[in-house]
This record gives sequence, C-alpha cells and structure tokens, in this order.
Amino acid sequence: MTTELREREEVRTPEGAERTRARRTFIPRADIYETADGIVVLADMPGVDENSVEITLEKNILTIDGRVEPEQREGYTLTYAEYSVGDYHRVFVLSDAVDRNRIDATVKNGVLKLTLPKSQEAKARRIAVKAE
Amino acid sequence: MAGLIPWGWGRRQVPINREAELSPFRTLRQEMDRIFDDFFRGFEVGWPSAEEPFGYTFPRIDMSETDKEVLVTAELPGLTEKDIELTLSRDMLTISGEKKEEKEESVKGYYRMERHYGAFRRQLPLPVEVDPDHCDASFKNGILTVKLAKTPEAQKQVKSIPIKRA
Repeated sequence: MTTELREREEVRTPEGAERTRARRTFIPRADIYETADGIVVLADMPGVDENSVEITLEKNILTIDGRVEPEQREGYTLTYAEYSVGDYHRVFVLSDAVDRNRIDATVKNGVLKLTLPKSQEAKARRIAVKAE
Repeated sequence: MAGLIPWGWGRRQVPINREAELSPFRTLRQEMDRIFDDFFRGFEVGWPSAEEPFGYTFPRIDMSETDKEVLVTAELPGLTEKDIELTLSRDMLTISGEKKEEKEESVKGYYRMERHYGAFRRQLPLPVEVDPDHCDASFKNGILTVKLAKTPEAQKQVKSIPIKRA
C-alpha cells in the first residue's frame, strides 16, 4: 500500500478468501508521524468507540480492526448514500525500533491514536564531549 | 486546472441499496463497476478546489427518510460538536466547520499523510421542506446525526394513488 488513499477505499480480501462478516470493510485514512519519543498513528474511523476497536500485535505486524454496527432505525429508508457503514481494517509492519510493551491506543471522536514509543536503543542520544 | 477535470469520476454518489448486495448478480455487477471505478480513479487528481478543499467530498453524508422526518448523517472524524456549525434554510442544510490539527508533540517528520485538516463547508439540498423549529442534531464517535422534521405541507404531499382494475 504505497499509493495515497484518495477515496474511501475498500479492503480487498485475497483471492478466494471470504470474511466471516457480511459487511463491507474499509481502509481507514491514517497519518503517521515521528516525534522525539516515538511514532504516532492517527486513523480516521468514524463510528468506532473504544469498545469496538481491536488492536493486535503479532511479531512485528500491528493490526487494527474496527467494528461499526449500523444503527437500526425503524421505518427509515435510505435515500442517498456516500459512505456505507462498514468495518475498518488496516495492517502496519513495525520496525524493531518500537518498544512493543508500551504501545498505547486511545479513541476520541472517531479517531484512533496509537502511540508507539521508541525503544531505548533506538532513541537518539546526545553524547557529551568532555575536555581532557 | 482542477476545473478542467471532469468531476464525479471515481466518486460513487449513487444510492446504494444494501439489500441488493445479497443478490449474486448484483454483486457481480457491482464488482464490475468497482473495476471500472478503480480504473478511472487513476485519472482522478483529487486536488483541492474551492468546492472540495480536502480533495474529496467532505464530509460524506448519508440520507434517509420516514414519512415525517429526514435523517442526515455525516462522517466527521476528529471533530467535536463545537467545531461544527449547522445552518438550515427551508430546503438547504449547510454543514461547515474546521477540522483542527491537534498536535501537542514536536513532530519530527511524516511517514504518511492521508488525513486532511482545514475549513470545510457543504450544502445539502433537502428533498422536502423542513420545519426549522423541530430539528435535532447530535454528535457521537465522529458521526453527526441531524434529524429534520418535514413540514405538515410536505408530509401531505405524499399521497398514495389507488390502482383500479381496468
């Protein structure tokens, strides 16, 4: 996934694979930036709250899964749709520089914030030069 | 420059009938549509313009209806209810506001920038006249929900036509 996400893109399943949920799944838009302490991932996942997002880390593969239950509104007929309600799924590969034990995730207003702190080895260190 | 590019390419602004997704032939057709959509999306530049400062329709909306109400939902991740302004005229709903960048840390560099920030404004023509005094809006988990009551006159306009046997 190197191309920039322009549209609301759907996740494709590999050839022949089927999902167990008959729901469309979208790739959330994400910003990834580096700070002095680590890497921050911000992902737009409207409709998701802290209970419906699941983050798993297996070896160096970080997976974000968000589930959105469409609100059942009795008697309403959909007349126009630009975003159909669906789940979110995205996978990132972590580098060794991340301290896996201190990964932190919060959800606020439909935005997931993942903080991936740098491991001690990867942090830049200033080396003081002493006069002899 | 952006004005020279045919708008609407790659954008699916057609009503989606979710029930239809269960039908295998519809699914096949949708799959074909998607292949074509993806092909044409290659040409879509997605540059910001006056109408689309984000380079794409923002916020995206869904609209549904009952006999008495029009329900509009909009995806506004990363905003709070204070960032959004809603105005209503008889047949036009305007959603405007600003998506602010929250940055408390010192950023050293970006690996990926797919989200957009900035001011936006979207005007939605409503299918019927609504009563501005009976409207209700709420915001939760990045989704704005606006309920608009149809005016009694608009409700009356819907009339079932009896079908006679010839």
